[in-house]
Amino acid sequence: MKKATNTPSKSPATVLGSEESFRLLVEGIKDYAIIMLDPTGHVASWNAGAARFKGYRAEEIIGKHLSCFYPTEAVQQGLPEQELKTAAKEGGFENEGWRVRKDGKRFWANVIISALRDKDGSLRGFSKVTRDLTERKQAEEQIQQQSKEIMELSTPVMQVWQGVVVAPLIGSLDSQRTQQFMERLLNRIVETNSPVALVDIMGVPTVDTQTAQHLIETISAVRLLGAQVVLTGVRPAIAQTLVHLGIDLTGIMTRSSLSGGLQVALDILNLKVVRKDDSR
Amino acid sequence: MALESISVIKLRDLLLVTVPPDPDDETISALQERVLQAMALYEARGLVLDISTVQTLDSFFARTVAETVQMVGLMGGRTVLAGMCASVAVTATQLGLTVGNALTALDVDRALDLLNAAPSGARCV
Amino acid sequence: MNEPHQGEFCITSENDIVMARKVVRDAATALGFGITDVTRIVTAASELTRNIYHYAKSGVMHWRSLNQDARVGLELTFEDSGPGIVDLEKAMEMGFSTGKGLGMGLPGVKRLMDELVIESTVGKGTTVVVRKWLKK
Repeated sequence: MKKATNTPSKSPATVLGSEESFRLLVEGIKDYAIIMLDPTGHVASWNAGAARFKGYRAEEIIGKHLSCFYPTEAVQQGLPEQELKTAAKEGGFENEGWRVRKDGKRFWANVIISALRDKDGSLRGFSKVTRDLTERKQAEEQIQQQSKEIMELSTPVMQVWQGVVVAPLIGSLDSQRTQQFMERLLNRIVETNSPVALVDIMGVPTVDTQTAQHLIETISAVRLLGAQVVLTGVRPAIAQTLVHLGIDLTGIMTRSSLSGGLQVALDILNLKVVRKDDSR
Repeated sequence: MALESISVIKLRDLLLVTVPPDPDDETISALQERVLQAMALYEARGLVLDISTVQTLDSFFARTVAETVQMVGLMGGRTVLAGMCASVAVTATQLGLTVGNALTALDVDRALDLLNAAPSGARCV
Repeated sequence: MNEPHQGEFCITSENDIVMARKVVRDAATALGFGITDVTRIVTAASELTRNIYHYAKSGVMHWRSLNQDARVGLELTFEDSGPGIVDLEKAMEMGFSTGKGLGMGLPGVKRLMDELVIESTVGKGTTVVVRKWLKK
């Protein structure tokens, strides 16, 4: 770049002079707010991108302190000064956080501040490049919200055969969720008049003493109705945990797979699956 | 009132008792009395307690049922609790109630099947 | 639901246990509790009125609807002038009972309700307050 400024060439930019073309380039960028700050943090230059998503026109903002881009609480914490200090000390600074537009609306910003020093090394000011990542932030939050909702989803209880219901548990079981699950399972058993319920714990990440207690409670309640639970999806890791924690599941039918559980259910119901050609 | 509200029906060698929806303590005690007399009179080998209309199962009720199951057992019979409501089962479990050695069934039909199918032993709560 | 609904019911005989259950069932159903919660509340009330009848012979049950912080609930208060509970901590332990083998009593009731507050003075009497909140 230095070479380009010193050595004139025949490219169109040189017609205007390299510094002028660079200024136009920066000013024209709309997706990034690119601004210059003086060493004390006051705005020295302002481009189209900054005007577009911060909302100030150049003449309104030049000379103002950068703290007007920050939310009040961040200013109270001294965040703008800290960021400049870090940039001055380490040469640069990058961060993400909430910033404020002229109209007071917040946006999620990625900010890069670089210290600008002259040949002697004395601080001349800062460049500050800001991107608006609100959409990305919102998408991330939406994903977080959705995964939370998935955790809270009610467990479906499905009838898979006359007399057999299946409930695949997914996610962790707290007492609130267990209560809801227990009610739904018992109601479905009564509605469908099913003597067997397969409760599948393949999708339960960890089984601790509390979770096991909740499962045992559910199984006891099902027994009061006159039905039986077969606990399926007991993975190796869950089997190990149950034994290591000393959780006693004696008297509770358990199987490693759902198909194994279905076999138990058919045995209880005195049913047998036969191949069509065998029956001839 | 208590005694009239309970009828013990003899079905071959089994007894069927329908428990009223909201029995008071007197009725529950009377129920035990009636059942044991009928056990002796008919030499029944099993008892079905239809509790499908029962809305409240508290500790007194549960204790009387558990006792009755034990007494019927001593007289050579097995007891099946039939048709407990889901809400009652959830509540009883949370309260920590048990019904002793009673067998359980989803409804009276299944209870009769259960008593007819297995002469002794079989699954217990 | 703007004005709190409330009432009281005297427990003096064994038959009042069943009557108290009816009062509580109606109040809980009117507030919009689902069948399982109604069963929990009624069963808890049954245990607590029975405690009054057995230990103190007589007492009073107050009930009122609650409306706090956009939450709706039901509060039941059971008051008696009976012998009181000597060791409250022990009475809250699972399986402990001094009476007619009704050991599920207080800890069981606590599990059925959202809140349980108990005050007891030996020789003066016992007050038990239980609350259940309507789940949204």
